[in-house]
Amino acid sequence: MIEVQGLCKRFGAVDVLSDLSLSVDKGKVAAIIGPSGGGKSTFLRCINGLESFERGHVRVGDDVLVSSDSARQRAERLRAIRRKVGFVFQQFNLFPHLDVIGNIVEAPLRVLGHERASAVGEAVRLLERVGLADKKSALPHELSGGQQQRVAIARALAMRPEVLLLDEPTSALDPVMAAEVMSVITELASAGQTMIVVTHQLALVRAIADTVHVFAGGRRVEYGPTAAVFESPAHDITRAFLHKLQAW
Amino acid sequence: MARRRVDVLVVAIFFLSLLWATPARAEIPSLLTPGVLTWGGDQEGGGPYVYPADDDPRRVVGFEVELADELAARLGLRARFLQGQWDRMPDLLRARKCDIVLNGYEWMPARLDVMEATIPYYVFGLQLLARDTGEITSWGDLERPFAQGRRRIGVLAASAAEKYLQSRPSLAIEIVSYDGSTDAMREVETGKLDATLQDTPAATFYRSRFPRLRAVGAPVGHGYYVVYAQEGQKALVRRLNEALLAMIDEGRIEAIYRAYGIWNDAQRELGDIARSGRFYGYSKEWHDRPAVTKRGVRDGPPERRVEITARKRGFEVVRAYGGVLLQSAGLTLVLSCLSFPLAVLAGLFIAMGRLYGPAWLRAPLAVYVEFLRGTPVMLQLFFIFFFLPEVGINVPAFWTAILGLSVNYSAYESEIYRAGLSAVPKGQMEAALALGMSRPLALRRIIVPQAVRIVVPPVVNDFIALFKDTSVCSVVTLVELTKRFSVLSQSTQATTELMAMTAVLYLVMSYPLSLVSRRLELGAGKAPS
Repeated sequence: MIEVQGLCKRFGAVDVLSDLSLSVDKGKVAAIIGPSGGGKSTFLRCINGLESFERGHVRVGDDVLVSSDSARQRAERLRAIRRKVGFVFQQFNLFPHLDVIGNIVEAPLRVLGHERASAVGEAVRLLERVGLADKKSALPHELSGGQQQRVAIARALAMRPEVLLLDEPTSALDPVMAAEVMSVITELASAGQTMIVVTHQLALVRAIADTVHVFAGGRRVEYGPTAAVFESPAHDITRAFLHKLQAW
Repeated sequence: MARRRVDVLVVAIFFLSLLWATPARAEIPSLLTPGVLTWGGDQEGGGPYVYPADDDPRRVVGFEVELADELAARLGLRARFLQGQWDRMPDLLRARKCDIVLNGYEWMPARLDVMEATIPYYVFGLQLLARDTGEITSWGDLERPFAQGRRRIGVLAASAAEKYLQSRPSLAIEIVSYDGSTDAMREVETGKLDATLQDTPAATFYRSRFPRLRAVGAPVGHGYYVVYAQEGQKALVRRLNEALLAMIDEGRIEAIYRAYGIWNDAQRELGDIARSGRFYGYSKEWHDRPAVTKRGVRDGPPERRVEITARKRGFEVVRAYGGVLLQSAGLTLVLSCLSFPLAVLAGLFIAMGRLYGPAWLRAPLAVYVEFLRGTPVMLQLFFIFFFLPEVGINVPAFWTAILGLSVNYSAYESEIYRAGLSAVPKGQMEAALALGMSRPLALRRIIVPQAVRIVVPPVVNDFIALFKDTSVCSVVTLVELTKRFSVLSQSTQATTELMAMTAVLYLVMSYPLSLVSRRLELGAGKAPS
């Protein structure tokens, strides 16, 4: 479904990502965990082209993004890949000048060319799914953080993405709101949505992830089935990291 | 048969050559508009030269208006007045915006390098005017150092009077330049100036308006007003000279000058020049022209007298000049409302180009913005109006103003938009791109609508500033509200009333904009459907 091979990215003399690979099968969920600054978010942003990379490739279905692409090729491939890959940001990034429905239907109308009536119908169904059917015409600033993040998820889903990338979706939320968002994400996982999620919420990882990938210092230090990594971590960094989180 | 045809041809050529050989009349000077003699002058200079008529301030009167009308008529043309800034008259000629300048312009050798001059139409002197309280009673008083420092003497900017004072370093004075002659006279009355040096016609004409001024000594200096034409317009100058000679000889000049009270003995020199042929550019060939029978002025039309009316006050001023001020305010409004939307549009593209455009476009756009922000709009208008014609691009005055203002303001607008666009969080563009939008679509649908809300107040602010900046358009011959105020205040001295009316008109035009801006700001909080 989605496969990343040998991704390398440098900022000046610093290797931000070194030779990172990761693949997720259709309907599966991969979780990326690890200490802050380990390259998790950067890796996720490379997949849909919000960041560039120097070496390696990203393949989503039949579309391949290669570091050596020219600007024009890159723009074309990015457009193709971004239609297949949804992205949920830590800071939600809702469009503040559009109401909730407007946020959700904007891309289906303008990018996919859907009819307004069907796009709005779909948006309403998505809002019901994330539990916000009563917030259709609210403006983003009138919503709580958790509600905003759920709208952002609905907005990403409106493009019917083959893969959904979630970049620390609950980090900007208090525990109650985080729980709302996690239950939405869990529901998506059980419905068979392919996802890659960067998170510090081990409970969420346990609940939904088929595989866990531990990133540190721009490298993948360990990966494997969730239960295996959690029960018998092979690497010191993984052990230290899990220990720290579970000490809480 | 063939033979006959040749005969006809010969006869035809003979008559044609006769037609061509007909002297003088066949010399057709090239004019801007065929059949029209466009002459430049500045009504802000005031009486008795060119000034707004009392009964209809849209019309100009003055001895130079009558002179221009009669000269044009004698050339078989119609005279058309072009309002310009007095010190810009040579530029108007060079840029081919008018055929001649006829506005108290002194004969000066330096000017002959760039313009053609006729023979003089007036012999002027410079009259020193001071308060009648007697601090200054002679030119000698100006040489003596004075307790409060240097005496302040007002002159018309770039005039013969200014040059005369500059040429006398022994005077312990400070020269203060004005755009009109009566401003300086009023400031002598009110005490801001100690004296003013004026060309004799202005000093004579406005004597009754400024009863507290007194002539100090006899007129000094000695100069000639001449008509200037574009360089190389020899044919036009020759025909103007013929017409002037005829008017001098027939006493028409004397009749006009007597009507304005500016005829004096010095003018007899005009006749001497005509008869003796002693003057620069006065060619020998006319020296031998057949003598014109001199008709005395007594044979001319009955002597009339052009008087300046008493100074109007209060509501009289509103009634008399409200209409013409309103009309000029209309021009101000049209200039602003046409140039601002263009500035907004251009500014938006410049800002987008600088923020999101290709790298090769960014540097030129930055240069464009910095250049236009860093130079005065007046200079830019000047460049378009007076310089571009030299490279073959002739933009009419009105469109010069629109172009100049919109180009200048586009630089300011673009900086506002750049700030506004930059103020939209980076995550907004990322979110839009992540949803598969192209950059242009993301800009149009997501970024620009948010930036618009941020920039409404500064943009409206700029619009209001533009309203007032339209006043610089007077350098390109447009009479908008501020220029009209200056012109009227110079000729009527009803400065207080005119100032109040002008201020109210500006306010009436700009205040609604502030209201619109406030509504837009409030509206920014609400959701669009």
